[in-house]
Amino acid sequence: MALLAEGKMPERYQRNFGTVGIAGQIRLLKSKVAVVGAGGLGGTVIELLARLGVGQLRIIDGDTFAVHNLNRQLMSTEHNIGVNKAYAAASRVEVINCDVQTEAIPYMLDEENAEELLKGVDVVVDALDNVSTRLLVNRVTKQYGIPLIYAAIAGFTGQVMTIMPGDNGLERIYRQTNANASNQGVETMLGNPAGTPALAASLQVQEVVKVITGIGEPLRNKLLYFDTEMNIFEILTVT
Amino acid sequence: MVIEVRLYATLRRYRPSIPNGVFTADIPDGISVAELVEKLEIDPAEIHMIMVNGIGREMDGILADGDRIGLFPAVGGG
Repeated sequence: MALLAEGKMPERYQRNFGTVGIAGQIRLLKSKVAVVGAGGLGGTVIELLARLGVGQLRIIDGDTFAVHNLNRQLMSTEHNIGVNKAYAAASRVEVINCDVQTEAIPYMLDEENAEELLKGVDVVVDALDNVSTRLLVNRVTKQYGIPLIYAAIAGFTGQVMTIMPGDNGLERIYRQTNANASNQGVETMLGNPAGTPALAASLQVQEVVKVITGIGEPLRNKLLYFDTEMNIFEILTVT
Repeated sequence: MVIEVRLYATLRRYRPSIPNGVFTADIPDGISVAELVEKLEIDPAEIHMIMVNGIGREMDGILADGDRIGLFPAVGGG
């Protein structure tokens, strides 16, 4: 941070320079991002945010790694099966970037703890795998005026959107969802191959960078939908 | 009137002869999305998001000639 204050980019962030500049890098380093879920989406999100130099990461996941996670979840290895995902992700960040402070929360976000876990952060990344917790996160981020970066995946398909304070959010995407509806989508049929969460997570990270630095145009009220089986990338209006 | 229908992901299996799930349909004037879905013999419970000309709509939305209707299943994985 001392070098940045002198207008110089530290070597480890040199390849960020042309895109985010000194001011953007300072903003990233001063930011606190909560990542809810450290599985397929979250693992890649955490890895990339750490490399970018987002200064504080709160990693929330009560699950442990299982063998069937190995096909796609970046933080899982053959050596950490059975280890809590939040702890594993924090350990990974420690060896990537010592500028980044991590806070591993080894339990699931729920009605009881959601406000405590999310309030006070600059951005929340939704890397969850079920609809009901997404809607809970959406409610809390809306209440506290925190930008929410949403993604969901299934098979070759994924969708990403940024929900800024005051925007209609996930209640529009999941408006058909009711108490009797499934808490999951077609991923139960299609599974989640490696490339899909990595692609959606990378798009989420681009959104985080845009929101924190003010660069570019976030996917606000716009759902980026991809279906790479048929080479489809569409921007859909969701208001 | 003629509209374009786009089926996404698992909904494409309702038209196995059309690999990309995109086809045109000649339908009566003024029908709703729900009526179209019934004509296409798609289970409405599988449809989670409806886009008409790229903008979110509901099942009771009335269709117009030349509309492009996208039908999406629920996606919730992470």
